[in-house]
Amino acid sequence: MSYSVIGSSVNRVGGRDRVTGRQVYSADVSVAGTLHAKLVRVPCARARIVSIDKTGALGVPGVRMVFSGEDLEPPYFRYGPVFADKPIIAIGETKYDGDPVAVVVAETVDAAEAGARAVEVQYEELPAVVTIDQALDPGMPLVQDPDTRGDSPFRDTNTLKEWRFGWGDVETASADLVIENEYSFPMISQFAMEPFAFTAAPDHDVMTIYTSIQIPTKMQKTIADLLGKPLSKVRVVAPDPGGAFGGKQHPKFEPVLAYIAEKLQRPVRLELTLAESFYAVRRTSARVRVRSGFTRDGKVAFHDVNADWLIGAYADITPRIVEKGSYAGGGPYVIPAVRILSRALLSHTTPPSAFRGFGVPQMNLAIESQLDIAAKKLNIDPMEMRLRNIPRKGQNFLPDDPACDGHWDQVIARAAENIGWNTPKESNRGRGMALGIKMSATTAASYSVVRLHADGSATLLCGTSDMGQGARTVYAQIVSEELGVPIERIHVVMGDTSTVPFDLQTTASRSTVYMGRAVYAASQDVKRQLQEASSQGSDSNEEILKSLFGKVSGEIIGVGTARAEKRDGHPLGGHTAFYELVCTAVEIEVDRETGGVTIHKLVTAGDVGKALNPQHVHMQDDGAAVMGIGHALMEHLIYDERGRLRNAGALDYRIPTTKDTPGKMVSVFVENEDGPGPYGAKGCAESGLLAIGTAIANAVADATGVRIRELPLTPETIWSALQEAGDRS
Amino acid sequence: MQSFKYARPESLPELLELLEKFRDRARLISGGTDLLVKLQHGNLAVEVVIDIKRVAELSDRVVTTNGWVSIGPRAVIGRVVRHPGIESAYPALVEAGRIVGSVQIRNRATVAGNICTASPAADTVPPLCAYDARIRLVSTEGSREVPLRSFFVGPGKTVIAPNEVLAEIRVPAPHGAMGSSFDRITRRRGVDLATINIAGVLHDNGTAVFAFGAVAPTVVVAEETSGDLCDPTVSADRVDEVLKTLLATARPISDVRSSKEYREAMLLVAARRVQRTALERLTQARGGRE
Amino acid sequence: MNEMTTVPIAVTINQTRYDVEVKAHHTLLEVLREQLHLTGTKRSCGEGECGACTVLVNGEAVNSCLVLAAEMDGAEILTIEGLERNGELSPLQQAFLDRGAVQCGFCTPGMVMAAEYLLRTTPHPTEAEIREGLSGNLCRCTGYEGIVEAVKHAGRETDS
Ligand code: FES
Ligand code: FES
Repeated sequence: MSYSVIGSSVNRVGGRDRVTGRQVYSADVSVAGTLHAKLVRVPCARARIVSIDKTGALGVPGVRMVFSGEDLEPPYFRYGPVFADKPIIAIGETKYDGDPVAVVVAETVDAAEAGARAVEVQYEELPAVVTIDQALDPGMPLVQDPDTRGDSPFRDTNTLKEWRFGWGDVETASADLVIENEYSFPMISQFAMEPFAFTAAPDHDVMTIYTSIQIPTKMQKTIADLLGKPLSKVRVVAPDPGGAFGGKQHPKFEPVLAYIAEKLQRPVRLELTLAESFYAVRRTSARVRVRSGFTRDGKVAFHDVNADWLIGAYADITPRIVEKGSYAGGGPYVIPAVRILSRALLSHTTPPSAFRGFGVPQMNLAIESQLDIAAKKLNIDPMEMRLRNIPRKGQNFLPDDPACDGHWDQVIARAAENIGWNTPKESNRGRGMALGIKMSATTAASYSVVRLHADGSATLLCGTSDMGQGARTVYAQIVSEELGVPIERIHVVMGDTSTVPFDLQTTASRSTVYMGRAVYAASQDVKRQLQEASSQGSDSNEEILKSLFGKVSGEIIGVGTARAEKRDGHPLGGHTAFYELVCTAVEIEVDRETGGVTIHKLVTAGDVGKALNPQHVHMQDDGAAVMGIGHALMEHLIYDERGRLRNAGALDYRIPTTKDTPGKMVSVFVENEDGPGPYGAKGCAESGLLAIGTAIANAVADATGVRIRELPLTPETIWSALQEAGDRS
Repeated sequence: MQSFKYARPESLPELLELLEKFRDRARLISGGTDLLVKLQHGNLAVEVVIDIKRVAELSDRVVTTNGWVSIGPRAVIGRVVRHPGIESAYPALVEAGRIVGSVQIRNRATVAGNICTASPAADTVPPLCAYDARIRLVSTEGSREVPLRSFFVGPGKTVIAPNEVLAEIRVPAPHGAMGSSFDRITRRRGVDLATINIAGVLHDNGTAVFAFGAVAPTVVVAEETSGDLCDPTVSADRVDEVLKTLLATARPISDVRSSKEYREAMLLVAARRVQRTALERLTQARGGRE
Repeated sequence: MNEMTTVPIAVTINQTRYDVEVKAHHTLLEVLREQLHLTGTKRSCGEGECGACTVLVNGEAVNSCLVLAAEMDGAEILTIEGLERNGELSPLQQAFLDRGAVQCGFCTPGMVMAAEYLLRTTPHPTEAEIREGLSGNLCRCTGYEGIVEAVKHAGRETDS
C-alpha cells in the first residue's frame, strides 16, 4: 500500500514545545494559592510507629497541617490496581524504607521542609523481609496482616499469590540433554528523568489532580472512591509525562494529597526529588530456577521453571506482571512440554510496579541463557538453535492463544545479517543473541473523537498519555492520512479526563494498535459524514465544509471505538492483540583485567507489522537498547541487611551516559503489514528491552567462556566470575 | 534546602573577619558543586555561606613562577587542565582533572574545592600528592604552608582551622626528567565517582611516588627509590613486586561502589597501567633532554 | 557587605534585566522556576548528576541546581527560553527536532543548553567530543543516538 504520511518520519508533534522549554510537565503546573507538602520518613525498612510529635512542626511559621495515620479512622481506605491493599499513609507501621509516616503541609516549600524536619517520630525498628530467601523463611515476620488478606490460601505466608502454567508432561518428556540452572534478575529503577510531581486542587465540588500518569482514568476512579465522589466530579489532568516506562501507571501519593486538599479545601502540591522516586517505584526482581531438556538435534524438549518474584509490601500491578511474564515464559518457541510455577513474594522494599517489558526480561534471562548453554553443549550455532525452535507464521505455540502472527525467521535473519553473525570475529570478541516475546494487551477500551472544523483543520481527542513514545505524532498521521488534513493543522488533545473520552490505559505497547484503531475509526466516521454531504454535489473537503457551514458555522464530529472484551476462562483474561517479538544481537569485548565490557555493536530487530513513523520506531529501539544496556551492565538497587536502600538517586545508581552506548547501534524491523493495528501495525515500545540483558550475557559467555547467571554484569561481577573460573581451572 | 545566610566579602581581611566571627558555623563557597550537594542532602547545617568569588586576593588563575606552579583557590578545574604550564608538565593532574564530574561541574568546581572537600575519592588529590603539592593557608594570625600529603585528617576532615582559608596550591616544578600518569576504575564510562584512583610520578633519579584514592579514609602516598619502576628494562614481574609493596599501605573497604576484594585487585591493575604510561613519558622526557 | 538571609541581585536573563530579592539558600534553579516562572529549565536529580537544569552563566554551562541564586549578582544568564530568535528555532533546536533527538523532552532543555555550550566552545565537534560534552546530561528515552546526530548536524550547519 502507498500512503501519503503513514510510513514517513514526520517530526514529533509537540517537539517544538519540547526544544523551547514550553512543554508543561506536571512540576510546571502552578495553581494559585497552592500549599506545599513534604513527606516525613524514618530511616529503616520496617518500624512500629510509637508516637508522632507534631508540636514543633506546627510551630513553624507557615505550616498548616501535619497529617499522619492517626488522623484516619478505621475502616481504612485502601487502593491498588489488583488488590486494594495500600493505605493512603502508613498506619501504625512503616513497611519499606521511605514509606512516609507523615505529610507536612505549608504555605511555602521552605516551611514544609522545616516542618518536616521538626516532626518528631518515635519508632521502633522491626525485623524486615528484604530478600527472596527471607520472604520464604517461615520464621520471618509477615509483611501483610493475614486479616487484610481475605480468604487467600497464602494469607499466613509472605506469598502473595502463586501461578501455574504449562502444557505437556515435563516429567515424561524425553531429552538427550538436561541442564538445570538458577538465574537472578535485580531490582531496577525506572529512572524517568521527570521525578514525580502532584497537585490536588479542590474547586467547589470538583477535585482536580494534576499528575504525570499513564492511566488517568484509573486515577480518577481511585480518587472518586476515596472521596466518595462521582467520576464526573474528579478531574485528572495528566500533562505529558517526562518519561514513565511503566513506573507512572498507578497512583503514588495522589490519594493522600487529595485527602488533605479536600480537608483543607486548598490546593496541595508535592514534588519529589529524583532520589525520592527510588522509594516510590521499582522493577520486580526475580530468581528463576529452570530445568530444561533438549533433543540431540537442538529442539527444546521441555522447560520446568520455578520463579520467585520479589515484590513490595503492597501488590500494585505486580500480580499481573508475574502472571504475564510467566505465561509465555518459555519464549517464542514450539515446545512439547512446559511447566511454570511462579510465586509473588511480599517484602519490605520499594513497591515495584510495571516497567517496560513487564515480567519478560526476568524470565528471558533464564530461558534464553539455557538455550545458549544447550547450543554450546550440542555444538549447534545459537542462531540455528533458535531457528529450529521458533514457530512459522500461523503455527500454534501457546495452546490457548493465537498462532504465531509474524515471520519471525525474518526477524532473526535481519539481526544476524546486521551483526554479521556468520562473519569471522576478532579473537577477543564475543557475540550473543537472544529472542524476546511479550504478550500485549488482552483487553481494551479506547475511545476517540475527531472534530473536523469548518476551516478544514481538525482537533483529535483521545486519552492516551504521550510519555515520549510519540502517540500524538502517530495519531496526527492517521487523521492526516484519512482526512487529508496537514499535520500542522491538527491539534491533538490528551491527558484531561474532563475533556477527552475514556481510554483504558497507556500500557503494553497498545496505543498504536488500540487507540490507533479508535482514531482511525473516528476519522472514518468523519469521512463517512463528508461523503454523505458530498452526495449533494461537492467533492473537496473545503467545498463540502463550505456547503455545510457556510451560513451557520459548525463542525463534523467523528467518533471511534476500539474494544477487546475479556475472555472468561482464559488464564490472562483475553487473547493478546499481537506478539511483540524481538531479536537482539551484540558484539562485545571483555577487559579481562577489570571485567569491563565494551559493546562494539548492537542490533535490535523487531516485527512491527508496519512502521507508521520509522524514525519513531528507531527511537523506541535505540532508547530501549541503551536502557537495556543499563539493565545488563550497571543498574541495580542495593539494600543493606537492614533493608535500607543505599543507592537512591543519580549519584550511586548509574544509568548509561553518552559514553556508555555501543560503538554502533542499529535498529531494523520487519514489516509485513500483518498486525492488528491500523495499516497492519503492531506495538513496538518494549521489544528493545526484552532480550538485551540475555544477549549481552550470552556474548560475555562467548567471549570469556564463563557463564554468568545474574544481572547486572558489572565489571566487578565479571571480574569475580573470571577469577573463580581461573581458580577452578 | 535548610536556610542559611549569605555573605560576600570583597577583600581578604573582610573574609577573615567573617571566619573569625562564625568559625565552624560558616562554609566557604567558590564553585559550590560539593557544598550544595551536601546542603541539599541536609547532612550539613551551616549558619552562613561565605562567597569568596569577589575576594581579589584569592586568585582564579594559574601562575608559573620560578620553581613552582601556583594554582589560585578560585581557579576552576576546567581551566586549570587547559593551562599550558599544567598541560606540559603535569599530565596526571590533567588526566584527573578532565574526568572530575561533567563539563558543567568542571566549569564551576575549583581544584581547591576538590581538595578541601576531603573526599577520599577526589580525583585531583592523588596527582597533586604525587607531585608533592603544598597548601598555603592564611588566617588573621598569619600564614602557614602544609604539604598536601599531611593535609587530610579523615573523610571530610582537613587540618584547616575554622578561621583559616586556603590561599594557594603550590606545585613544585619538576627537577629533572619526570613521567607521570593517572588512572582510575569506575562503574561506567561516563561521569562517575572513582572506585579507586591512582596517580604515579616517576623521577629521573629513580624515585617513584604513587598516590591512591578511595582506598583509605584519606589519600595514601607511597614512595619507592629502588629505581626499578623508572627503568624500562626491568621485568614485568619485578615491577609487580615493587608495585605490590607500594600498595601494601592501602586499606580499601567495601561500600556501594565496590567490594574490598575488587578494589584491592584493581589497585594493582590500575597501578600497572599508570606505571606503564608514566614510564613511557619518563623515557620520552629523558630522550627530549639528551 | 554583611551576611544576609535575603539577597538583592541584579541579573540579566535572556537579555532581560531582573532586579530581584532572593533567599540566601535558594538555588538559581529554584529562582528561575519558582520565582521567575521560567520553567523551561528542568529539575531532575537536584544534585549535579543529570544536567537537566543546565543553563549558561556568563557563557559557561553550569548546573543551576548547584549554584546559589545569590551568587548570580551581575551575571548574564542564558536559559532554554532565550534560544529562539523572533519565534524562529535556533539551528540547534531545529536539529534536535529533525534528527529525532527528543522523546519525552524532559532532558531536552538541559541537553540543548549543554550542546549550545559545546558548539560555542567547539564549533565542529567530533563524535567523541560531542559524547564527552554531553556526558553530564542524562537521557532515559533516546539512547542518545538522535541527540548526538543532532549536535553533529548543527555543528556542520554553522559552517555554511
Ligand atoms: S537537576 Fe541539576 S544536575 Fe540534575
Ligand atoms: S527525551 Fe526523555 S529523558 Fe531525554
